[in-house]
Amino acid sequence: MEQSLMDKLTILADSAKYDVACTSSGASRSARAGSIGSCYAPGCCHAFTADGRCVSLLKVLMTNCCSFDCSYCVNRKSNDVPRATFTPRELAELTIEFYRRNYIEGLFLSSAVLVSPDYTTERMLAVLRLLRGEYHFGGYIHAKAIPGTSPELLEQLGFLADRLSVNIELPSERSLNLLAPDKGRHSIFRPMKQIAVEGAANREEVAVYRKAPKFAPAGQSTQMIVGASPETDYHILQLTEGLYNKYNLKRVFYSAYIPVTEDTRLPALDTKPPLLREHRLYQADWLLRFYEFKADEILDKNNPNFNPYLDPKCNWAVQHYGLFPVDVNRAPFEMLLRVPGIGPKSARRIWHARKQASLGLDELKRMGVVLKRAQYFITCRGFAGAHPGRGSAGRERVTRALIDPNVFSGGVEQLSMFSPPAVDRLVEQGVPPRTAQKMVREEAVQCLARAL
Amino acid sequence: MSGQSAVNPARKLHDADVVYLYDGSFEGFLCCVFESFAQHELPFAVWTPERETSTLYPVKEILTDHAKARRVFASFHAKLGGETEYLVTRDFLSGWEDKELRLIRFLHLAFALGPGTVKRAGHPEVAPLYQMKQSLDWEVDKFQGFVRFQEHDGMLGAVIHPKNYILPLLRGHFCARFPEENFLIYDAVHQAVLLYQNHKAQLMELAEPLTLPPPDEKERRFQDLGRQFYKTLEIKARHNEKSRMTHCPKRFWADLTEMQEKG
Repeated sequence: MEQSLMDKLTILADSAKYDVACTSSGASRSARAGSIGSCYAPGCCHAFTADGRCVSLLKVLMTNCCSFDCSYCVNRKSNDVPRATFTPRELAELTIEFYRRNYIEGLFLSSAVLVSPDYTTERMLAVLRLLRGEYHFGGYIHAKAIPGTSPELLEQLGFLADRLSVNIELPSERSLNLLAPDKGRHSIFRPMKQIAVEGAANREEVAVYRKAPKFAPAGQSTQMIVGASPETDYHILQLTEGLYNKYNLKRVFYSAYIPVTEDTRLPALDTKPPLLREHRLYQADWLLRFYEFKADEILDKNNPNFNPYLDPKCNWAVQHYGLFPVDVNRAPFEMLLRVPGIGPKSARRIWHARKQASLGLDELKRMGVVLKRAQYFITCRGFAGAHPGRGSAGRERVTRALIDPNVFSGGVEQLSMFSPPAVDRLVEQGVPPRTAQKMVREEAVQCLARAL
Repeated sequence: MSGQSAVNPARKLHDADVVYLYDGSFEGFLCCVFESFAQHELPFAVWTPERETSTLYPVKEILTDHAKARRVFASFHAKLGGETEYLVTRDFLSGWEDKELRLIRFLHLAFALGPGTVKRAGHPEVAPLYQMKQSLDWEVDKFQGFVRFQEHDGMLGAVIHPKNYILPLLRGHFCARFPEENFLIYDAVHQAVLLYQNHKAQLMELAEPLTLPPPDEKERRFQDLGRQFYKTLEIKARHNEKSRMTHCPKRFWADLTEMQEKG
């Protein structure tokens, strides 16, 4: 029976939705006369789904008929799900019509491996050629490099797309061999390296010849699944840092593993996705990219996992309590960034404003500094730093101000999205959510205060 | 000595029990600034005809004078620098009730302290300007994504309900995106239209509210596809209504195709 476009879209969007990369950032251009579509460097979100994730691109698979059998994936060969395949014309037309109505910022094209990696990439290329050539589409295109594709095809893909990505999938070679036997480490890092090298060469060429065709102007990204395999947070964070430095990646995405299949090698089907862990990884990722932190400062061999109750920045500040308080009117920029409650934006505002006049607490508040957390770490005009009090009571007061409110923000009936494992265990034993949150919170405060 | 200052107290900047009434245009506002500086007074309020209410204070009608407006505007760049000029011009599009007064208060401070004033983000007279800009920028950023076009006979039409007057700030984005299309964006709150036709864009104020014709067969098909795509994308195991509401507050929902039941 012939599938309708509606059915295909449903099946192929459903299969693609577990890919987390949704950004449309990094490229900037206006549409030329006779064409349609522009790119906006900061990226643009067009809608937000009921799980709070943004919809930026028409994220679909070319096909979900796969010849691989990766155990964590819904589209694996051995899974019994409805299959569908777009024709290039269908998908190009759909993209243009959605784009004209401003539903999307562009196309995110991925695919299951149909027949072979090269065959699949050829089909993806056909869509991109139609869009860029026949429809004169200048909007954002994110294309996924299929592991095992030949370098020639990958190069062609790069000249048509704005961003390329190769998914690492699992954070270590051992897990990869165990869970995704068809994808070797080599087949992932080879294209990643090729994209990095060609991108760098192309940027030099564009600097000399302004009109030279651009190779993936928005760079490359990757993603890995967290919680399907036993790696520590420290391991993942070091890997991330290595990717940023070595392959010049724009973004590394993490996706909390959602059990989609019964398999002895994987967490059980009723396991909750580790959302808190994913959240902490993104926070740490932000520290690497915008706060000038190093992976070794955030975690180390002795503390290989994140503290569930403190965000990584507060955690660092607590561990280095001796470096504080800092004088807001004199501290170097890097130090301002490390104060809990001061972000890059307020740090920049402080940096400019303090050249005009010295700053007091009122000014800081108006500039967007969160004084609840910052007060124990700063001094400024007319303020010598808040004194939490002596002894254990004082230490408790500091930890109470720093503890992550998101973790305990649930209501009477419902837990927070980011509820820590300790709370979950109590709730399973029949403790009401609010009581469980309170108990764990008190215990966490005591424990953290003792360590301060 | 008599002990009297040479400066006439009336010539010092003071709070005046007077309300300025101007026509709502940027030039009219610049003339309010002129008046405020000429009289060394800070008015009690600045109103446009739409915001006019009965008051005990005397109302001073400020007439729009192009020469004066140009003089004031030129002084921004010359005396206060480009950053101040940008901030003031942009904030004028804000939908805040007392934006004019906040801007006038800021300008008095800025002309006294010089071009560095704009950097004092923590100063009580300067901070509100950054708040206004933040709310404006946030809304512009949101609407670049949340405008939903419907096609009627090859023409694209959209309705939006923004708090700030953001059409001038959306113009560049959408004109650079759809150079070959004809489109209009109707701001139902301010009854204004951004019309782009035959490669020319114009902003118009409307006397009558505008309604778009009902969608035809082809349009309904793509709306259904759009809705279906949106619905499919949710991952049920991560359902998080609060997060959606933070990113896309309910006031936007009425104009979003995917938030409507089958139309």
